Amino acid sequence: MAPDISAPAETDQPGADREEDRQSPRDAGNDVIIRGESVVKEYQTGAQTVQALKGIDFSIQPSDFVAIVGPSGSGKSTLLNLLGLLDVPTRGTVRLRGTDVSTFSDGDRTTKRKHTIGFVFQSFYLIPTLTALENVEMPRMLDRTPKKTRERAKQLLRRVGLGDRLDHYPDELSGGQKQRVAIARSLINDPAILLADEPTGNLDRETGDDILELFDELRAEENVAVVTVTHDAYVAEEADRVVNLVDGEITDADEAESNGVVEQ
Amino acid sequence: MSWLRRVAAYFPTVVLARRNLSRATARSLLAIAAVVIGVVAIGTIGMGGEAFKQDQMEAFEGFGGTATVYPVYHHDGSGSINGDFSRQNINRMRQVTDGTTVLPIVERWDTLVQTPTGEVIITAQVKGLDNPGSFYDAQSGTIPDNWKRSAIVGSRIAENNDIQPGDRITVSVNGSFTRKFSVAAVLEPQGFADQLRADRTVFVPLDEFDDPEYDSAIVRVDPTTTSVDAATESIESEFNTRERNVYVQKVQEQREGFEKTFETINQFLIGVGSISLLVAAVTIANTMLMSAIEREREIGVMRAVGYPKRAVVSLLVAESSILGIIGSMVGVPLALGIGMVLNQVLLGDPLAFTAAGLRYVAIGAVFGIGTSLLAGVYPAWKAAKKQPVEALD
Repeated sequence: MAPDISAPAETDQPGADREEDRQSPRDAGNDVIIRGESVVKEYQTGAQTVQALKGIDFSIQPSDFVAIVGPSGSGKSTLLNLLGLLDVPTRGTVRLRGTDVSTFSDGDRTTKRKHTIGFVFQSFYLIPTLTALENVEMPRMLDRTPKKTRERAKQLLRRVGLGDRLDHYPDELSGGQKQRVAIARSLINDPAILLADEPTGNLDRETGDDILELFDELRAEENVAVVTVTHDAYVAEEADRVVNLVDGEITDADEAESNGVVEQ
Repeated sequence: MSWLRRVAAYFPTVVLARRNLSRATARSLLAIAAVVIGVVAIGTIGMGGEAFKQDQMEAFEGFGGTATVYPVYHHDGSGSINGDFSRQNINRMRQVTDGTTVLPIVERWDTLVQTPTGEVIITAQVKGLDNPGSFYDAQSGTIPDNWKRSAIVGSRIAENNDIQPGDRITVSVNGSFTRKFSVAAVLEPQGFADQLRADRTVFVPLDEFDDPEYDSAIVRVDPTTTSVDAATESIESEFNTRERNVYVQKVQEQREGFEKTFETINQFLIGVGSISLLVAAVTIANTMLMSAIEREREIGVMRAVGYPKRAVVSLLVAESSILGIIGSMVGVPLALGIGMVLNQVLLGDPLAFTAAGLRYVAIGAVFGIGTSLLAGVYPAWKAAKKQPVEALD
């Protein structure tokens, strides 16, 4: 169920990272990419402390397709931010391949994020002044390997079916095409996890289906784990596991489906 | 173009920055215009000031090796004030300065000069001098080698009263003489640097004054071979033994004083010009802040996909620097163009740029780029500091 992550040959750096991280004794056996234990996240709003997450456990393994569902304000985005190393828990631990992320500096988290995590957003967030190809290259633009990056970006755009749209600007692309560009962008550094925040939220059903299909292909071919926050029931249906968040806690409603993912 | 793209790929920050600027063209152009105004203001004021200074300093040409020695007047205890130079004093000066030209001057105020038609020239001064040819060139007529019984008239006096060589003017010196003189020559205009103020003077030979007391003496050396300082120091140590009897004023010192004054004025004006660059900096800071706020989510995405803070700072600072560089690139030729006009007007040669003048253009350009860069730092830091999760919410 948890095959090894096969890093493409040209991505030495992320591959090396993973190799090194895998040394960690705790997760060495089961290949867990990211694991959370008793994770609490609190926010200060004025004099009040709001608990967005109230001590949850989770773990993500390669090729997982996890859907996080729940009403607004239930802590879905907070969980996604923690998984994406965009935030750190107030209490409890989040471990990236065995290493507690709270030990990372801001710069470390940025680097780990770059090499481990791909982001897909509901509103795509493509840079309007860059072509589809350049948008895909964007996360690696500062790496000073323009030729390698360009080749990989072209390959990814062809992979998502946009081989004929390389030089189009975002405003020349449809919503589905933009999301495909965004997915290609999220894959440029060969991440282990793809975090998708309402990836189909701005798309019609048919285009949404295409995106979900693409996720399936990526999981099968690249062993990428996909974690998505969604309101769409049909996206949740497609997922292997559903994490149902209510008021910052994982409810047991979908226990059958969440086996293994949510460790109570 | 493809080679350009290949090169550009190695400077991704610059490429991203340039593209971002093209997003709000009007805003970028206005920010550039502000820099252009600042660069032109500093460059033009600096260059214009230098041209004006040069124009004024031309008046000192030819007076480099000259100093005037004045007597210091002392109360002699018997009720009268004593101090004018005697013939012996002048001879002592000649001895101690070893062959330097020392020209005694008689300068009288109780005088009257009348034109050939009998009009009184109120503004004319009368001075007795031995050898004006060693100082001045004639504009018309000739300065006689062995000068006796004629007058030499300054340019301003001649012009205002329509006096030509050959005319006869009447000079009265109270208590000495009243005599008609034939005008031998009218002098070239000398300007304000001339210590004898020849433009407003009617010169008569010293011999006209019986046993004169001299009001001052001009000491003159060839400035290309000797310094006037040695001569004046000898005179001062000879005469100022127990008390100060002579006082020396060098044209060079006067010139330096003028130069300092011009410099101060110029610096003040450039300071005023710099305010326009300060305004440009504010404009750019505002432009960059707006741009950073508009692109908050985009910057959040960049941070999320692995751009470190310093990459975001570099990007925004690159954007503001590009505004400064373009502003300077437009401003410098404009400033040089205006400088050429000023050179033409003040110095008669559009290409009469001085190193000092050009330096101000360079300073303007450097400050233009520098202030733009600095103006981008705060917005950049603010944008980079924002946590990606906040920017994306």
